[in-house]
Amino acid sequence: MNIDDYKELKKGGMMRQKEAGRFSVRLHIVGGDLSAEQLRAICDAAEKFGRGTVHLTARQGVEIPNVPTESLAAVKEFLGTTGVGVGVCGPTVRTVTACQGCRVCPSGVIDAPELALAVDREFYGQPVPHKFKVGISGCANNCLKAEENDIGIKGWIEPRWGGKACTFCGICAAVCPSKAIEVSPDQAVVSVSLAGCIGCGDCIESCPTRAMGEGNRGYRLYAGGKFGRVPLLGRKILRILCSPEEVMAAVRSVIEFYRAEGRSRERFGDTLMRTGFPALDSRITERIAESS
Amino acid sequence: MIPTLDITKDVCPMTFVKVKMGLAKIPPAGKLNVLLAEDALKNVISSLKQEGHRVSGVSRQESAFLIVVEKEGERP
Ligand code: SF4
Ligand code: SF4
Ligand code: SF4
Repeated sequence: MNIDDYKELKKGGMMRQKEAGRFSVRLHIVGGDLSAEQLRAICDAAEKFGRGTVHLTARQGVEIPNVPTESLAAVKEFLGTTGVGVGVCGPTVRTVTACQGCRVCPSGVIDAPELALAVDREFYGQPVPHKFKVGISGCANNCLKAEENDIGIKGWIEPRWGGKACTFCGICAAVCPSKAIEVSPDQAVVSVSLAGCIGCGDCIESCPTRAMGEGNRGYRLYAGGKFGRVPLLGRKILRILCSPEEVMAAVRSVIEFYRAEGRSRERFGDTLMRTGFPALDSRITERIAESS
Repeated sequence: MIPTLDITKDVCPMTFVKVKMGLAKIPPAGKLNVLLAEDALKNVISSLKQEGHRVSGVSRQESAFLIVVEKEGERP
């Protein structure tokens, strides 16, 4: 093996195949976004170095399978000219997934791709006790399955009822998917149970009088989710965060917490099962307060 | 008499398409009653609001809702 190919192998991102001497080359993709030029380069690389096929992974990743050992450095160099890097494996922060968010999707509340880029820039490939995944959904529809990730993020809209204009028509309660709203015409109140609210904003959009307005709009974080052999769903942490800066501060402190508390090869969800979620919450709250 | 449009049997996006067609037949600031199923409430009302119309009345019927839609614009 040539020294350059050996060096590439050591860095990771080249997945050894069943077939001796062949590797599936994992690429560095953020939020599933690629330019047409990058896609073309990936196709060319697959033909030139692999066997003309590309594999799309479960988390918006792209791999070029069947690359022989002696082409590993060359495929990396070839793709590098279009800004497509080689991916990572092992105990690191992995691909950050995202939907197209509020710039494209009519339901979008947050700019998911932009946030994915920010998380990727700071954390992609960084060492942690075990693999660590971040997934971002632009709204409560949660197409990107936030709860499956070590950190999941969702766009979130929380309603606030302002009595005056309300006609007690009951529409908000009828549309609420989590039955979090109770309309009591006799007492002239509409109560929203924020603990049950899933942040979809449907009540606000449907209210004919605008009595149901927006309380908070922002980012909701989940921690400790994973799939694989023993799946765990991430749990909601913190209050609603209002800016990408606050989210980044929170992600930073979650990773810091995991590095301090997590054992080697222990997924974050399992760490949280040992430490409990309150320990994480208080650590992050401290950090966010310091940074703002 | 306010005309009534029954869209309880329709599904999105036909629900809103029919409401738009109904509104096209009445003058600006005119009223249209729409009878619709609970599932259609959110999409129909939010689309109406987006296009500048008003929902000025709501009542719950047996298994549906009756809303009163006021078309946008000035009375001719
Ligand atoms: S999660 Fe929301 S914003 Fe993202 S694609 Fe799905 S519906 Fe659109
Ligand atoms: S939908 Fe609006 S007007 Fe109707 S009960 Fe709810 S808050 Fe009041
Ligand atoms: S935002 Fe969605 S879940 Fe929350 S109260 Fe309104 S309709 Fe219900």
